[in-house]
Amino acid sequence: MAQVRHGSSRDISGRKREYETIYILRPDITHEAVGLVNTKIRGVIETGGGTLLKVDNWGKRRLAYEVQKQMKGMYLFFSYLGPAGLVEEVERNLRLTDSVIRTYSVKIAENVDPATRASEVTDETFAKAATPRPDEEEIATGQANLRAVFGDDEDGAFDFEEAVFGTDDDGPL
Amino acid sequence: MSMERDERASRAGAAAADDRGDKKRSVGRRKQCKFCGDEALKIDYKDQALLKYFITDRGKLVPRRISGNCAKHQREIAVAVRRARMIALMPFAVTGA
Repeated sequence: MAQVRHGSSRDISGRKREYETIYILRPDITHEAVGLVNTKIRGVIETGGGTLLKVDNWGKRRLAYEVQKQMKGMYLFFSYLGPAGLVEEVERNLRLTDSVIRTYSVKIAENVDPATRASEVTDETFAKAATPRPDEEEIATGQANLRAVFGDDEDGAFDFEEAVFGTDDDGPL
Repeated sequence: MSMERDERASRAGAAAADDRGDKKRSVGRRKQCKFCGDEALKIDYKDQALLKYFITDRGKLVPRRISGNCAKHQREIAVAVRRARMIALMPFAVTGA
């Protein structure tokens, strides 16, 4: 087990830090296996004194570059509150899991009062996170979103002329 | 003496013409920072669709003079793109191969 880490002097007692962890699973993973990994991580967070705020399955997406010989991966998003040192434990557990090809954690805020942040996670929503959203290919490549935001040109790639000369319409961007 | 003055005058005239030429080329209003103009627009490393607008087709960051971002928001964009690259949402480099 990892050693108990003491927080920094900036930490106020009774408050927690807010973290986000994203991990990418192998694309050929079964739904049961996704559920197992999620349950394991939830266990690590809860035994480590954390509160799970949100779990989201982004579905299978194309990776921007090859990661461990894979060009696709299933994205899982966890948002949680926890004490200092919890992220190390979560990431250690993810690294030990074979089906995880990439993990990334970000600290969103510190000194968050746990009472002010309600958890969106129930057993039902948690179980749902094991199955990706429908229409995964559209979400995967981001085509659906891009079309709405930037119109239909060149899958949203940077348009030099548009950037230099501006556009007439004041769209969402 | 007078010839010299003429020369100077003609040079000044040429410079003025150049200035006008420059102005003609850079016509248009100065770009405003999108994020300063719209408070609701949040920079998020998970928002692939938004960040895609700030990288070139080679995967490099678009400079501030082109994107029109203010310094503060350009820094935030840069951090967000670096984070998005870590989780393979954005490329580090796009090669022609």
